[in-house]
Amino acid sequence: MKRIIATVVSILLCGIILAGCWSRKELTDLAFIIAVGLDKTKDGKYMMIYQVVNPGNVAGATQRGGGSGGVPVSIYKATGNNLVEASRKTSQKVSRIPYYAHTNLVVIGEEVAREGLDGLFDAMERNSQFRATSMVVIARHHSAEDVLKILTPIDKISANQIIKTLQFSEKMWGETINIHVGDIIRDLSSQGKAPVISGVGIEGNVRKGKRQLSIQASEPDARLYVDGLAMFKDGKLVGWINGEASRGVLWVLDKIKQTNITTGWKGKKEAISYKVDRSQTSVAAHIKNGKPSVSVHIQTEGDIGEVLVPLDLNDPKQLLMLKTAIEQAIKREVLDAVERAKEKRTDIFGFGQTVYRSYPHEWRKIAKNWNESYFPYLEVNVKVESFIRRTGLRNKPYIFQQQGGKLEWKK
Amino acid sequence: MEKVKISARQLFVLIILFEHGSALVIPLGVRAKQDVWLAILLGMVGGILLFLVYYRLYRYYPDIPLTSYVQHIIGPWFGKALAFVYTVYFLFLASRVLRDFGELLLTFAYPETPLFSLNAIMILTVMYGVYKGIEVLARTGELFLTFLYVLAIGGFILVISAGLVHLYNLEPVLADGWKPVWKVVFTETLYVPFGEMIVFAMIFPYLNNPEKAKQATIIGMGLSGINLAITMAINVAVLGPELVSRSTFPLLDTIRNIQVANFLERLDVFFMIALIIGGFFKISLFFYAGVVGASELFGVQNHHRLIYSLGFIVLLLSVAIADNYSEHIKEGLRIVTVYLHLPLQVIIPICLLVIAAIRHRYFNQQS
Repeated sequence: MKRIIATVVSILLCGIILAGCWSRKELTDLAFIIAVGLDKTKDGKYMMIYQVVNPGNVAGATQRGGGSGGVPVSIYKATGNNLVEASRKTSQKVSRIPYYAHTNLVVIGEEVAREGLDGLFDAMERNSQFRATSMVVIARHHSAEDVLKILTPIDKISANQIIKTLQFSEKMWGETINIHVGDIIRDLSSQGKAPVISGVGIEGNVRKGKRQLSIQASEPDARLYVDGLAMFKDGKLVGWINGEASRGVLWVLDKIKQTNITTGWKGKKEAISYKVDRSQTSVAAHIKNGKPSVSVHIQTEGDIGEVLVPLDLNDPKQLLMLKTAIEQAIKREVLDAVERAKEKRTDIFGFGQTVYRSYPHEWRKIAKNWNESYFPYLEVNVKVESFIRRTGLRNKPYIFQQQGGKLEWKK
Repeated sequence: MEKVKISARQLFVLIILFEHGSALVIPLGVRAKQDVWLAILLGMVGGILLFLVYYRLYRYYPDIPLTSYVQHIIGPWFGKALAFVYTVYFLFLASRVLRDFGELLLTFAYPETPLFSLNAIMILTVMYGVYKGIEVLARTGELFLTFLYVLAIGGFILVISAGLVHLYNLEPVLADGWKPVWKVVFTETLYVPFGEMIVFAMIFPYLNNPEKAKQATIIGMGLSGINLAITMAINVAVLGPELVSRSTFPLLDTIRNIQVANFLERLDVFFMIALIIGGFFKISLFFYAGVVGASELFGVQNHHRLIYSLGFIVLLLSVAIADNYSEHIKEGLRIVTVYLHLPLQVIIPICLLVIAAIRHRYFNQQS
């Protein structure tokens, strides 16, 4: 008898404990927030924009052949004095519980960024649902709201579109940086390194780009693109670096994996393109007579991608000259980036941290005035070593013969 | 005392699980910033020296636990009082670890569940384990240790292959000299988890081969110390010293940063399993020591009868101990360390050893 009672009681207990339904949430009760946007309202409050996945339309659209279903994402907005307040307030509009574990993107309006990031990320860091690996971008020339509202053709969810564009662009081109909430918090909370964040812009008609009709055309009415690096100083956006100079930033931060360097050859501009396949950067700091200096050493390996001048690539001497030209081009990019940062007096390269790591005692004396009196006058020595490993499937370009170049073995 | 024996290997397993217990997941010694690994290793060395004190005492009285031999050393009256203090100390630590465990789960996984119910489920499991006895705990430990190691190695490989480890975060070494490191050693890492080895003074008598106790314990402590130091060093290398010092659970943050091949991510469950396994063994060992101590002290023949009542006390204490997590941590760092760990782990055992040594020499001369 005793045995039977014990068995029944333990089975019942298992039923209660193992079911794990204490604070259960059904899938149909959750609103999956894929991206969060931040803007300021006119009265200085935060406006949060939520891009919520519309599950039926994401899965359904592919089955139906795409395009014919509803929109894949839905936008909700809420204002509040802080993020948590705004987030709770959305419950007045969303029929489900906001769920942040899949939030992969944070879009910050340029206006908010100029006023300062300050404690913006605290709520994201404190919340256990939110991931520090979410990506951050700055909405350039537009509000975060506009960026999140644009519908995109290939990756239906525009947050995914932005994330993948950033990831692959960093990998293949290297003018934008793929930076996470955790990285930014680390930069903001430590001395001697200021954050840089990539920008996202819109080309085309913003108003039309929000409609489903836009992505039914082969060229949508509005497209999202990533461009430029926002420089921050004391948590405030102070300026943008564009084009090749922004690649200079990524060279120093050792973020370049692959890219393409175009260099001139004997008077002809942009004649040869060099595909970088591998690259490594090391930064070292030195202090001499109380004056800090930094040396950046970049090593790249790559192939020749395109040649528009008659150049005999069989000739190692020519390759050696080409190598020097490429090295000069990379060095120019880096120095250009350093100049831009010095102008704004913000150490986006983390040179200060390098100094701290090598000279902790000296750093304590200069840390306070680093941005104002040391960094703008810092001596930065850049040394580039580029190796051209292969020349692709051809050695001499076909214009070599056209323009009367002589083949070596005929000599 | 139970009539069971454990082998040196099982002791080794229990030590590893006990030392990793909560130390793996809490921000252990993070006030030493990037030198935290040094602080842990130095704490380990100090802990091994302390263990040699406990070991000497054990060799003087190889058949009885700490709470009994104190009565032999300083006489029945003071001895009983001190044994009582140690029993309460073990039960108190059991409830502190239980609270740690509940708070950790609550903060990151079950925000809406009351602390009491989580702690109740854990203490029920612990009570069952202790009811079954030390031998069963040790054998369970052997099983779980393998599992924990597989997880740990898997996690380690993932962290490395995700390219998260930035060794420059560990520089500069000793930026502010040795002083802050020593401070952390003597206020934190020496006591938790290494000085807490005092609890094994209640377990050693069960060993079937006392000769091997020293070797097994020192290897166990050394391995745990190295593991903990590596884990904290990786935390710092991944997150940076600044974030580690602000984080409630650095290991969790490190694991959450893992992103490999677009699908190996959000491995929070690694952390959860480490937490539950380690927490279970740490609470069990403290609780077991408390129960055995109490049954010796009050002459209860069958220690099983104390498990229910003491388990309930530990559960209530774990909830009542502090109003909030910050208070709990502050108590642990300021009050418990100075007023409990320091005297009960360091001062009293050393005094006991001195007295016991004098007694034995005197006794030997007489005979």
